[in-house]
Amino acid sequence: MMISPLLAAADTAGVGVAPAWVLAIPFLPMLAVVLTTLCAISKNKTKLPAWITVGCLAGSFVVTMLAFMTLSGETNTVTAWRWFDLSWGDGVGQQMVANLGFYIDNLSLLWMMFVTGLATLIAIYASEYMEHDVGKGYTRFFFAFALFVFSMLCLVMGDNLLLLYLGWEGVGLCSYLLIGYFYKKPEAVAAAKKAFIVNRIGDLGLAIGVMLTFVHFGTLEYAELFNSAQLQGYIAAVQEGRAGDVPLMAQLIAVFLMIGAFGKSAQFPLYVWLPDAMEGPTPVSALIHAATMVTAGLYLIARMLPVFLVSEWALPVVAWVGTITALLAATIGMAQFDIKRIMAYSTVSQLGYMFAGLAFLTSTGGVFHVVTHAFFKALLFLCCGAVMHGFAGQLDLRKLSGLWHMKGWRIVSVGMLIGCLNLAGVPFTAGYFSKDMILAEAFVTPGYGYSLLGWVLLLTAGMTAYYTFRVFFRVFTGPVQFEAGDEHHGSDDHGQDGHAHEDHAQGHFHPHAPGIRINAVLATLSVLAVLAAGLYFVSPDKHGWVGDMLEESTAHNVYTADHSAAAMFVIDGDTHGAHGHDDHGHADDHAAHGAHGGSILGMDPHKVMYYVSAVFGLTGILIAAWAHGPKGLVSGFIGGRVEAGKCRMDGVAAKLGPIPRWAENKWYVDEFYHFILVRPLRVCSHIFHMIDKLLVDGLVNLFGYLPRLLGRGAQPGQSGVLHGYALSMAGGVGVILFIVVMVTL
Amino acid sequence: MAEKLAYLWPEVTLFLATCAVMVIGLSPSAAVRRLCPLISGLSLAAAGIFAIGTTPTLADGAEGLMPGMLPYAKAIIAAVGILIVMLLAGTVDRGEEEELAAGVRKFDPLRLTSGEFYAFFLFSLTGLMLTASADSLIWLFLALELTSLPTYVMVTISTARSRAKEAGVKYFFLGALGAAIFLYGFALIYGGTGSVHLGEIHHQITLQMAGDGLNGITLAGLLISILGIGFKIAAVPMHYYTADVYQGAATPVTAMLAFVPKTAGFLALILLCSAIGWHYGETGHALPDTIRLLLWVMAVLTMTLGNVLAILQTSMKRMLAYSSIAHSGYMLVGIIAGPGATFTESGISAVLFYLLTYGVMSTGAFAVIASLERTHAERTQTGELAYDEADSIEAIRGLARAKPLLGWSMVICALSMLGFPLTVGFFGKLPLFTSGIAAGELPLVIVLGINSAIAAFYYLRLVSYPLFDEAGDEAGGFITTPMRTRPAVAAIGAVGVLAMTVFAGPLMGLAHDAVQPKLHDSDAPIADEAMPTEEAEPVAAK
Repeated sequence: MMISPLLAAADTAGVGVAPAWVLAIPFLPMLAVVLTTLCAISKNKTKLPAWITVGCLAGSFVVTMLAFMTLSGETNTVTAWRWFDLSWGDGVGQQMVANLGFYIDNLSLLWMMFVTGLATLIAIYASEYMEHDVGKGYTRFFFAFALFVFSMLCLVMGDNLLLLYLGWEGVGLCSYLLIGYFYKKPEAVAAAKKAFIVNRIGDLGLAIGVMLTFVHFGTLEYAELFNSAQLQGYIAAVQEGRAGDVPLMAQLIAVFLMIGAFGKSAQFPLYVWLPDAMEGPTPVSALIHAATMVTAGLYLIARMLPVFLVSEWALPVVAWVGTITALLAATIGMAQFDIKRIMAYSTVSQLGYMFAGLAFLTSTGGVFHVVTHAFFKALLFLCCGAVMHGFAGQLDLRKLSGLWHMKGWRIVSVGMLIGCLNLAGVPFTAGYFSKDMILAEAFVTPGYGYSLLGWVLLLTAGMTAYYTFRVFFRVFTGPVQFEAGDEHHGSDDHGQDGHAHEDHAQGHFHPHAPGIRINAVLATLSVLAVLAAGLYFVSPDKHGWVGDMLEESTAHNVYTADHSAAAMFVIDGDTHGAHGHDDHGHADDHAAHGAHGGSILGMDPHKVMYYVSAVFGLTGILIAAWAHGPKGLVSGFIGGRVEAGKCRMDGVAAKLGPIPRWAENKWYVDEFYHFILVRPLRVCSHIFHMIDKLLVDGLVNLFGYLPRLLGRGAQPGQSGVLHGYALSMAGGVGVILFIVVMVTL
Repeated sequence: MAEKLAYLWPEVTLFLATCAVMVIGLSPSAAVRRLCPLISGLSLAAAGIFAIGTTPTLADGAEGLMPGMLPYAKAIIAAVGILIVMLLAGTVDRGEEEELAAGVRKFDPLRLTSGEFYAFFLFSLTGLMLTASADSLIWLFLALELTSLPTYVMVTISTARSRAKEAGVKYFFLGALGAAIFLYGFALIYGGTGSVHLGEIHHQITLQMAGDGLNGITLAGLLISILGIGFKIAAVPMHYYTADVYQGAATPVTAMLAFVPKTAGFLALILLCSAIGWHYGETGHALPDTIRLLLWVMAVLTMTLGNVLAILQTSMKRMLAYSSIAHSGYMLVGIIAGPGATFTESGISAVLFYLLTYGVMSTGAFAVIASLERTHAERTQTGELAYDEADSIEAIRGLARAKPLLGWSMVICALSMLGFPLTVGFFGKLPLFTSGIAAGELPLVIVLGINSAIAAFYYLRLVSYPLFDEAGDEAGGFITTPMRTRPAVAAIGAVGVLAMTVFAGPLMGLAHDAVQPKLHDSDAPIADEAMPTEEAEPVAAK
């Protein structure tokens, strides 16, 4: 019998008890929530809320690092208290217990570290960025910010699916509150509603998945679930090629959880909310909509990987959806002009990579990309934010040029360059290593057309490099030209309180270079993004530090200690169900550096990919340089742009016909959804409204009238006359006694 | 005697504070008089601490039939009592004190009532705690009356308005009627069983049930006592006084009426029903058929009548009065279900937990109403100043925007009273449902469900008016009262609801432990609850 890697792991992986001080990690942000609430009640008009938030988050980060140093490599839980216990028996499935407990293993530690770390940095950034709102929305912003971090920590630290679900809804709520932060702006309100409603679809999937988990496995706690004989039995069955033995219900769980993950992590077809979410303040875009919340879906899949492994369809669907999303979002990103939207689409696209990476059974690649992406994408967003802040909301890359040469913008420019290099996957950056791992794994892993997906992802990598450097070359190089955004009139966003000054006498616009706090955060993040590449070299035989970390968690499924057993695993082409799961065997010998299950042009994919993806990435940058680069960048051939708004690409675009316009209009997906979903729903709702009005209302009114009628009937009894009351009471006693005695005796 | 005293320390503490307050309330110095509520609150805190420290043991012999209930019940009484005393602070003598401070009037101890007011409040709570400790019918009767009698006076002197006097008189006469009914019942029980001691009564009833069933006198006694105690919990048919009295009294006193007599009534019902024992009926886990039917009818009528009448109200105080009737109906389901092995199956722990949640959320809601008062005090015919609190529901339109603290407190408390999921009210109602189902009372649970839906009708008004409506003309006529403790209680009520939601598990655990038998003895009937079917024969053999 084949020994499942998880079975083997389950024997050794005892779940220990974490020390109580770990509780400080989620509760410090909660403290910030309480204190900012008190600030709101006391009508505080100072910057106090920002410093409270920064302090608490920094404290949380320090404790997280302590936890990392002392607890990594182990699986521990710590229970704050039992939230409720609605058990009605001792049997399996009769124990409905919800603990406010936290599960500390390497997977959650990874997320905890970058969530608290980035949140602290971005809170410092926001303390300056949001300055114009001091006394107005400042407290509200930091309240929601701290609440977000608390919810996110509940999500990743919770030791049961219920807490994960609560955290999931909590981050959704905070995301809604913060997207709609400028609630006087109709676009912001619409975007907030869109995000909330689209997420609802995903959340329904998650809710059903969680319920099915309880119904099927009788528990929601990870420790019990992953060690349950039931789940281990399924995994063993799949390993032995008896995938048909896994009940449909167990397979459906992963599918529903996957829908939840797609909603929160903005995957096709539910990705439409994320680009619109950029209406929120930029620190929010950086933290919530690029670095942390949108990776919740990946966390869910990584955390529940054992459950996904027993489902025949879930992971292949994840791979396909991830790849389609990556490609689709990249094509849209290439045609956008709003730099923040470009970053938003690139986030969607990169999330697609991560999902594909998880699905290619290299949780290492997927999660490594989550970590590196968190840093460089946060950096990119914060740089865009600095530009937006300084140019009164200007985000159009046709109206900005040459920031590199402007005084005070050097740190922003360098930060942007580092971020772009990472995103484009230029060799020896962190983004390069993490993306390569996913790409290589696509060719290694046999599956439903995975090598096709590999080529698509490679192509997408080239496109990513193109649109990334399109932004860089347009905005940061070339002649110094700029136009102010529409906010220097002091309408609603920033710029009102003297940040982007307009010299009224002259009509000139003076950009406002970022201050010390924004620059410090950008510099720190730049350094971190560069250093992140080093993570790859920490333990190269396990594909970097992240691989090393994940080996100790349930997200680890590939690089098992049991190579010999896995290597013997033979693909049984006739057993349909086994097909998608054979990957274990192949991935395993791959790890053992044995025969590879896949190859690219007959060579070791991991080695080849270093060169191939570098070529694709550099080609993309070259095209961007040719089309958008400034005159004199290298020679006469490359670049040639002398104005902010005109470049060689304009000529190319003209030849492509309507395609660029379609891409700019996001392939009309929103309109399509509107046509196939919103319009029919509206028609249906009108029909239902009629039915409701005529039929249901009548019935409801009838039933609603009944209590009123009863009430009216009883009301005269309440006459207010004392002796009437006394008589009624005595009479009532008599009547009831009579009835009771007559009926029973 | 000494053993009994050992866990009457909370009552002793309150009694000593009562004496102190009575004297201090007559002090010529306004500063000293103002200490009354403070002393009351501190003594309650001390009583609560004593209560938590009490661990009743069998050797003491003075505990009631639910020994574990004692510390829990007294602790929640002390906790909610502190909230109520904060709400009561400054309610009486307000006009007098202002005129004294302004020098319009000279100090006249006869005109001041704060000494009596707080002393009576403490007396009432002493009675309430004594109810929890009761082990005999006489004790139970005296404790119940000690709980109620002071409230008659408190209703009457709570405001200068004549409707308070009317309410007080009604409450007193009807209360006397109720007391007469259950005293008559108690007398019959004594006649039927030959004992006033609850443990002995339990023994006798077990014997009678093992034989030909309850004898006529015992049965009549039990039925009449339960109906009489129905007055305390405002159950049909003894509910008539509720709306008039709640509306007539000053709102802080109304908040007290919603918690104190109700708690006393339920503690008494729990004691009485545990003296009967849940070992009968078809399942062997129910009260004797007749008693069960009586409680069943009372529960259905009480919750339905309370809810349908509440829908019609435009006065918030009357609405909450009828809703308080309905809540009593819900809790009766728990009494019918009886104790069980787990929290979800135990109706008694459900009632004990519900009393705590209801105490906090209803006090919070009443505190919001008490915090809104008319911009100008009026002078009554007797020349006293009357500060009218908000009553019409129009007063809270747009409150969340105009006065966010009060508005949101009302929203949170009302949602919790409705039993909205993920509020403590939901966690409170859930075990009532589950214990009812576990006890096989499915029709009753369905009625409970329908009633919860009807209740949503008027509770959602308390949510939507402050939250979604614009403030109307009427709402403009109210300001936040200058008495700081009242909005504070509203906030504490709302925060308490949220905190209890978060800490629901530990609190449920306490309520569960309160019902679990800790002692084992053939005379301690509760010890046998776990194995009821085996009990009938051995006792009969004796």
